[in-house]
Amino acid sequence: MQKYPCSRVYNALQELGQCSVVHLPSFLLKTYHGGHIVIRLAMAGHKQSNRPFYRIVAAYNKRARDSKYIEQLGSYDPLPNIYNEKLVSFNSDRIKYWMGCGAHPTKPVAKLLGLAGFFPLHPMTVTEAERRRAMAEQAEGAAPEEVVKQQEL
Amino acid sequence: LSLMALRLRLKNSFCHSFDAPVLTSSISEVINLFLGSPDAHVKPQFLDSEVQDILTRITGLNLEKVFRPIKQELKPPKYKLMTDAQLEEATQSAREQAQRLLKMPPVLPERKPINDVLSEDKILEGMDTAKYVFTDITFNIPHRERFIVIREPTGTLRKASWEERDRILQVYFPKEGRRLTAPPVFKEENLKVVFGQDRHEDMLDLCQVQFEPDSSEYIRVHAATYEDLEKMGKYDLLRSTRHFGGLVWYLVNARRVDGLMIDMLQKDLLQDAVSLVGLFNKVHPHSETAQEASSQQAYGLDLLKIYAKRESQRAGYVELALQAYEQTSAESTV
Repeated sequence: MQKYPCSRVYNALQELGQCSVVHLPSFLLKTYHGGHIVIRLAMAGHKQSNRPFYRIVAAYNKRARDSKYIEQLGSYDPLPNIYNEKLVSFNSDRIKYWMGCGAHPTKPVAKLLGLAGFFPLHPMTVTEAERRRAMAEQAEGAAPEEVVKQQEL
Repeated sequence: LSLMALRLRLKNSFCHSFDAPVLTSSISEVINLFLGSPDAHVKPQFLDSEVQDILTRITGLNLEKVFRPIKQELKPPKYKLMTDAQLEEATQSAREQAQRLLKMPPVLPERKPINDVLSEDKILEGMDTAKYVFTDITFNIPHRERFIVIREPTGTLRKASWEERDRILQVYFPKEGRRLTAPPVFKEENLKVVFGQDRHEDMLDLCQVQFEPDSSEYIRVHAATYEDLEKMGKYDLLRSTRHFGGLVWYLVNARRVDGLMIDMLQKDLLQDAVSLVGLFNKVHPHSETAQEASSQQAYGLDLLKIYAKRESQRAGYVELALQAYEQTSAESTV
């Protein structure tokens, strides 16, 4: 069914939606019926090592998380370094391009870009911050009680 | 540090292009035009064409020293059979190549710290224990204009400071020879050890590779090197290298040109000494030397005599050296 370039062109055009400039992904990439392009985190580095590292990637929705993507747009390192920094990089030019072509960012990518100031703040970031603060206060409330109990004992 | 690593850096450092904004060749002319009157004096900058001419002349061009052997990949030597004319051509092209290698690194004022806060979001306080550093890795932006922002655990979104910027840019756009943390050679104690071994040039090349020209570390290391050279009087170490112009500029701005002057006279470099005094007059036009020189329209040896009288602290030495030079020139003509 997908043997002839013209049908691939038609499918690719459908998937890319209303793209005024026709920049098609390479003809060697597989096209999907009803799939769309997403910007998401894909795990890089092999599954055996206990060290996660993500790439921010534009890929088809139907593809597996770590398999072939269309373009790498950045990286995210979830473990902090010796300066207590988590390094995130993103290619703003290309992200704008893919968003313009109708790609959907996933929730973690939207949160990261919201923290960066590239997108508006994601509401779940605020909610998570509030939840963490509530947990911290509970822990503080519990710790003095334990200290008091130990002293009584 | 092994000598081999330093020599490799010497080879590589010539490939570095400076990210500093390209300044026009004669800023003082432009500013003079803007101010309207040609008499209004503007301090000459390091990158003005006249200043650069004087400094290149003083630096000299010792081909033997510029092209001395550096540690490279081991290749069998190539022998060529040339006529005299071809040999001259080859020497000429070597001279041009040496001039390009001797291009002076820029001397810039120290960069002002970045204290920009983009947004304060108190609602995000306590969202995480670590900072998030966001870099924009778009390919076509100059590194100075790249966005590198940091989201603190308190929720503030601020621009990264200069040191953080240098480190993060080295992570994503690594420059050859540059390390993420500065090598411990650049601490004061270790610098003294290196200077004791007469390796000022290697030190300056390493500094060139590691730091940006307007960072405080770069300026500090260069100042320390120049001070040590001036104290020991070892100007010859830098003589045919690209750092000589920087040394002369530093000394002229600090008004401590005596040692260099005496060194030049002892080596019979009269033209260089005269151009040195000329440069000094340009940079400090309100000093006694400059005013007397302009009133008397002095040239050559007279400039040196005026300088010896008015400005120098070690006037005795300078005059002695001048007399010795005059005697030797009189004897040689006779």
